[in-house]
Amino acid sequence: MKTKLFMFIALGILAVTACTKYPPASGRLTEDLVIYTKYDVGVNFYDYHSFAIVPKISYINGNDSSYLTDANAMALLNRIASDMVGRGFVKVDSSQHPDFGINVTAIKTTNTTVYYPGWYWGYPAYYSPGWWGYPGYGYGYPYYPTYVTSYSSGTVIIDLADLKYKTSDNKIMIRWNAYIRALLTGNHSQSEILQSVDQAFTQTPSLKTTPEPLAK
Amino acid sequence: MKKIIFILTVFVFMAGIAQSQDEKTTLGFKPRSYYTFSWNTTFTMGDFNKWVGNASPAGFDFGGRYNLQGGLVTGFNISWQRISQSYGYQTAYFTDGSAITATNYRFTWMVPFQGVIGYHFIPAKMVSPYISLGIGGDYMEHHVLIQEFDIYNTRWDFSLTPEIGALIKFGYFSQWGALVAFNYKWTTNKIDFENYNWTSKNLQMLNLKVGLTYILR
Repeated sequence: MKTKLFMFIALGILAVTACTKYPPASGRLTEDLVIYTKYDVGVNFYDYHSFAIVPKISYINGNDSSYLTDANAMALLNRIASDMVGRGFVKVDSSQHPDFGINVTAIKTTNTTVYYPGWYWGYPAYYSPGWWGYPGYGYGYPYYPTYVTSYSSGTVIIDLADLKYKTSDNKIMIRWNAYIRALLTGNHSQSEILQSVDQAFTQTPSLKTTPEPLAK
Repeated sequence: MKKIIFILTVFVFMAGIAQSQDEKTTLGFKPRSYYTFSWNTTFTMGDFNKWVGNASPAGFDFGGRYNLQGGLVTGFNISWQRISQSYGYQTAYFTDGSAITATNYRFTWMVPFQGVIGYHFIPAKMVSPYISLGIGGDYMEHHVLIQEFDIYNTRWDFSLTPEIGALIKFGYFSQWGALVAFNYKWTTNKIDFENYNWTSKNLQMLNLKVGLTYILR
């Protein structure tokens, strides 16, 4: 009888303690669409008026980098530009000293398992400060950016580089960036991809040239 | 759901009462103690239901009861329970200037531990209905998983659990039986995510327990 009781108690305790806290990963981590944005809370976007955007999307796949120039890539760049114009910024050519320079990068897969902020800046296809007319400068973050732990499903990164106020140590600060993940899975239509760009702007309401009018 | 619980409760009590009336002979025995191991399904209520609305069957309960005198028993319960629900695309804003839009997965993991006092109306019968009150606490973790981002609160609380149920022996002299019980649980626990813009206080829930019992004479 004592053996049965002991077994029953042991079974009960084992069952209670063996249960995991987290639900199964398959039920909660689908590596689906994620739109993450972060901006410099110390910056006043009203102080900026113009922007230029890169002509091609920098594309990183493993250790290689190249450019995307197909119709989908162009549609993505155009949507970013139109969202900026919708926020009151004026689009100019990169040679016209824009206040912001917008770099757009698509990352397919990498061999990197730990992602340091701005690690992708070093790839040859990434538009360097020199391309914007500031050779010898480097990029920097005024805030600690997040990282996305998996890029296997494809991530588009939009960096808004401050070309107006460069730092004394020759840094061009990224004032806003957006990570849009899972755009290269093939599961999302072009319309959904463009909507996700809109969402990146929607969730950053302060990114605009004019403050809201005061409520009467 | 409420209807099912009501019917179950009535059935358990009626079965016990009918049995006590029908059998004039003293078949059966009064347990000296018994141990229960049951599968637990939680139905959240109020604010807690807004947090996770699903009925969550991911839970177990282990308990022991010791007869004091007559039908009066005392004992303990320790449990494990997880409630969870996936939500569609939602945007969370954070004070550091970041925002994230993704499917949200909310879950609460709880480990209740309670001392119990109860009363069996007809302890020697095959179907033995009871009422009890559990007094104790919980350890709870409330999580919001936004893909790989995990935001969470950890909280201890005080809890009260009135319960009705029945011990159903598999035979008049069997040491094995089933347990069916239903309880309401009130806790002082709360969910408070300032960045996620979510606050829920005094978390409450209903629990349905179905399990096995090992009885000592």
